[in-house]
Amino acid sequence: MKVLDKKNAEKFLETLGSEHKVIVPLLSSGDINFGDPDSRSQALDYKGITHYSAKGFFFPEGEALLTFELPGRGEAGTVAIKDHVNDTKTVIWGIRPCDLNGLKVLDAVFLSEPVDPYYQARRKSTLLIALNCNQAGKNCFCLSLDAGPCAHEGFDLGLTDLGDEFLVEIGSEAGKKLIEKHSEFFRDATEAEEAKARELEEKSRDSFSSSLDAAKLRAKLPTADNSPVWEEQVTKCKVCGTCCFVCPTCHCFNIEDLKKSKKVAQRMRYWDSCQLSGFTQMAGHNSRPNQADRWRQKVLHKFLYLPHKYEGLIGCVGCGRCVDHCQAGIKIVEVLGRVADES
Amino acid sequence: MNHNIYFPQIAIIKRVKDEAEGIKRFSLEFEDAKLRESFSHRAGQFIELTVFGVGEAPISITSSPADKGFIEICVVNVGEVTAALHLKKEGELVGLRGPYGNGFPFDNVKGRDILFVGGGIGLAPLRPLIKQMFADRDSFRKMTILYGARTPGLLCFRDDLAAWAAQKDSIVLVTVDTPDEGWQGNVGVVTSLLPKVEIETQRTTAFVCGPPIMIHFVIHDLVARGFAEDAIITSMERRMECGLGKCGHCSIGTAEVCADGPVFSYGQLKELKESV
Repeated sequence: MKVLDKKNAEKFLETLGSEHKVIVPLLSSGDINFGDPDSRSQALDYKGITHYSAKGFFFPEGEALLTFELPGRGEAGTVAIKDHVNDTKTVIWGIRPCDLNGLKVLDAVFLSEPVDPYYQARRKSTLLIALNCNQAGKNCFCLSLDAGPCAHEGFDLGLTDLGDEFLVEIGSEAGKKLIEKHSEFFRDATEAEEAKARELEEKSRDSFSSSLDAAKLRAKLPTADNSPVWEEQVTKCKVCGTCCFVCPTCHCFNIEDLKKSKKVAQRMRYWDSCQLSGFTQMAGHNSRPNQADRWRQKVLHKFLYLPHKYEGLIGCVGCGRCVDHCQAGIKIVEVLGRVADES
Repeated sequence: MNHNIYFPQIAIIKRVKDEAEGIKRFSLEFEDAKLRESFSHRAGQFIELTVFGVGEAPISITSSPADKGFIEICVVNVGEVTAALHLKKEGELVGLRGPYGNGFPFDNVKGRDILFVGGGIGLAPLRPLIKQMFADRDSFRKMTILYGARTPGLLCFRDDLAAWAAQKDSIVLVTVDTPDEGWQGNVGVVTSLLPKVEIETQRTTAFVCGPPIMIHFVIHDLVARGFAEDAIITSMERRMECGLGKCGHCSIGTAEVCADGPVFSYGQLKELKESV
């Protein structure tokens, strides 16, 4: 393992910036968000998780898939179609273990046949420098889903914050090359530094105040259709879709055309949420008209349907963002815990 | 050719026919000659149709798999994309992706009696299967086609219905919920035709397609008559965006209607939450 002194970290990022678009977590007014390190005066944040997960860098909130250039009215000619597959070389610094595990779900959806070329291009051109969590947030429960607080795979480089320096674990060939190329910033780790990282991981694992018995919940869900819990949430839920938008695994989307001018239109893809009533609206009828059913759908999709389709992969990584940001203050983890505990 | 899964292929509207009130039939040809030759589909599959600048909509293919060189779709003017399509004239361009979905079973229902129950535009996805079966007439036994619409003006494929009725060992019955002055046929919902035909339930496979409420009652009646759950086949309609099993809109339980369906047996649907 290697060590990167914190005073070298910013220089390392600066150097990476000459060849890559660099994304880092930035703190602003108490909210942490990924952003461009050049365009801010905020400090890099090494504590806490970002408001939105890193999914937007692979599957953006809104993106142009295609541009259509149409022949004018009455003119001969065909439609010219251009695609917007983007493979800008990117480094994401400080992605947390929960988000790394979220990418596993997005990979399963977008990289399984038929492969989504937009997601694939971004995924292939992005290096992941992960940052382990030394302390669980109050709504974090990644430990329950084996998705944190520390990751030992799924990244190119994995960092543990030792105080004045980062211990660096190499997770891929690309990560190894990155260190070789920028060797001036790194030194070999000592036994004591590696031991300290292990100790911090142990402490971190003991720091959780939130948990979920996922196995118990999954066993209960197939027969929990009539649980009073679903209806109960409806009276509180503000049907805003925030829980889906901040979720690192939610991947539902809309495709819409946007007219740019008389002759040019763009085919856009936007995040969507199964919590919104329009999600299942067809011309003439809605196949999931009740909010209670939409609530249940979200839970079943994450804990039963996705694992069924993708070899046991659960669509929840325990990041707690759906609790952090719920507009109605619904403690989703507690609600799920109640379903799991129902007799 | 672009291999991007979201990339529509350009097609020319060759023919537009007023099929019924608010319903038009379009005959489409790919601009690319090679694609015109190579495109093939199974009965019951659908395409994602693009009206450039307006959007995409999933539409059943209503031409037979045996029809080569063109694709027919039959479309109700009911949403944003379909309204824009209805304004299109012969010679104008649209986009197509697909075909998508599993399609109806064909080979493994050979040797059986076949019952079709269609409602309104629901005859459109059944039509390629009916045509394919009549083209292979000796492989199937009795063919019964029951078709209903709300009014006589909404009946589709009248020429086909007459041609199918003239085939050997076939029965075609048509009904409307609300007759007009000229209507001399059956009056009542499509389930009211079921008691009028002789069905040997054990050797019949039923294909049912129409609005959700119709499918619900037809399945109910067929089960009551003793049909096996796997001998009732239907095509589900759900909101779809991608047609590729990714966007999440058409999920019912563990199935994505676009990729795992849209054709399901009643037996399969019973295992899926929120389906019928």
